[in-house]
Amino acid sequence: MNNRFTSLLRKELLDAVRDKRSVMAGLYYAFFTPVLLAVVLTAVINKATNPEDIEITITNGIEASNLVNYLSDRGISQGDDPDKLKNIELVISTDFSKQLNRAEPAEVTLIADQSEDSLRTAIARIKRALGSYSSEMVSLRLISRGINPNIINPIKVHIQDQATAVSKGGQIMGVMTMLMILSVFVAGMNLAIDTSAGERERNSLALLLSHPVSVLQLVMSKTVAVSIFGMLGLILTIIVSKFVYPFVPWQELGFSVDISGSFVLGALLAGFSVAIFAASMQLFVSFMAKSFKEAQTYISFVMFVPIAMSYAATLDFAVEELRWAPVSGQLQALIDLAKGKEIPLLQLAVSCLSTLIISLALIFGMERLLKSEKIVFGL
Amino acid sequence: MISVSNLSKKLGEVQALDSLTFDAYDGQITGLLGPNGAGKTTCLRTIFGLLKPDQGTTSINGIDVAKQPLAAKQELGLFPDPFGIYERLTPREYICYFAELSGLERSAAITATDKVILDLQLADIADRRCKGFSQGQRMKTALAQAIVHQPKNIILDEPTRGLDVMSTRILRDMLGKLKSEGHCILFSSHVMQEVASLCDRVVVMADGKAVAIGSPQELCDQTNQTSLEEAFISLIGTDEGIAA
Repeated sequence: MNNRFTSLLRKELLDAVRDKRSVMAGLYYAFFTPVLLAVVLTAVINKATNPEDIEITITNGIEASNLVNYLSDRGISQGDDPDKLKNIELVISTDFSKQLNRAEPAEVTLIADQSEDSLRTAIARIKRALGSYSSEMVSLRLISRGINPNIINPIKVHIQDQATAVSKGGQIMGVMTMLMILSVFVAGMNLAIDTSAGERERNSLALLLSHPVSVLQLVMSKTVAVSIFGMLGLILTIIVSKFVYPFVPWQELGFSVDISGSFVLGALLAGFSVAIFAASMQLFVSFMAKSFKEAQTYISFVMFVPIAMSYAATLDFAVEELRWAPVSGQLQALIDLAKGKEIPLLQLAVSCLSTLIISLALIFGMERLLKSEKIVFGL
Repeated sequence: MISVSNLSKKLGEVQALDSLTFDAYDGQITGLLGPNGAGKTTCLRTIFGLLKPDQGTTSINGIDVAKQPLAAKQELGLFPDPFGIYERLTPREYICYFAELSGLERSAAITATDKVILDLQLADIADRRCKGFSQGQRMKTALAQAIVHQPKNIILDEPTRGLDVMSTRILRDMLGKLKSEGHCILFSSHVMQEVASLCDRVVVMADGKAVAIGSPQELCDQTNQTSLEEAFISLIGTDEGIAA
């Protein structure tokens, strides 16, 4: 590229770096998203692996001391600290021991608001504990009658997990990868608006177009500048992820999450095509807007598409075709890479290519927009 | 030299330019005088190729703007209204950027920027960011941008709008200097005094047409009036939209 392109690009980057809002937007996401995810995951893992004791109200526990002990062994007990006490009541029927002795169904009543989210896991645990107590009783009764208790287990299911430590972390790696790819969109967004709609708002667009510069070069320089910001956002997100994720206690879940060198390389390659797409899409949309604010509105509309596609790819409800589509294709290939599978090279190539083709179309579209007097002067 | 020939342009329902024809010569200051809405800015934008005329041609030093837009723009410097300053750049960066866009190599652009900063006495603010500049400082920066690459033709859109006396004088002196160096200067204005004191030739515009062309004195003679203001009113038939 010649001298003018360099001048254009140099100015775009200088202007962007001095724009605190643009820089902050990029840094903010890149830094806080991995940190936030790590904090949330650590909390979730701690909660899942060290279930806290459930304190509930047990009425008439005297009647079923065996059951109460059984529950207490499983961390479910009569509580007296009103702060910890959950709003769950287990009422044991006054006839409980009699009914048990007569081999009639002995009644217990579980009273709780089942729509309350915070109680849901506690209720499920109590139900499970009651269920296993019940089946132990069944076995004992069968044995006392001289019957092999295996008779009530017609099928025994064995599960052999073929997942490796790395692939078990796949779902979580998927979410992490998605956050990385989306960083490309977030990091450059503010700059994209500033350099297009902002340029018009500051009345410098017409001045710029009055100079002997080809519109295509102008558009390309802006696209490259925004892409560079997007890539910096991605690189920063990867670096922060690399440092932060090892602090999450993955071993508690029996798997490991590792951001390997080959993953970083793949993410940068795939991210490159996505960054150009993100830049050209955001610029195209905000060149059509007359003001910064209008551009923000438009961008939030179109951003929905790549975000939805990323979610679909990550959470695995994607149709097969999405494996070849822009953004979601690269994302899925990266997730496969993260899971330690073989990289689907063809799929990656096709999605990168389609991403670049769409970007080129958008760039030429912008060139046309900026040659239209309606767009330039907002007529 | 700038030639505008038979230019017509419709913007929406409005006939902004209607068979407009005039020439602006080298070594002269040509004023485009007309009331608000006469089509002055539309005319200037057409000269820069930002608007495409429905009919007619414009040429810069004989280069047709419609056929060779880049080559034609190469011969032009623009002082726009509004200025279009980049607030996060310093005047030095701003001027140098546009010098490079106008075709100078980076080293030549840096030298040219130094020179124009000196000529316009911009040195004290040259390395401060433009944010917070006064209107006068912005004007100087914009003017420096327009002339840094020494274009043969310089176009100014309402250059004195919002300027104080000192800034207006700086601008006027600079225009006089450029004229004596043989540049072709075309500016639009609706301020009578400015046009009367600066221009060698005046193109009086109304409703997208050139209603009269000549030196201020010729216009007075033509209309049998003693001042350009009276001449102007008798030419366009009203004093609406004109500042004394």
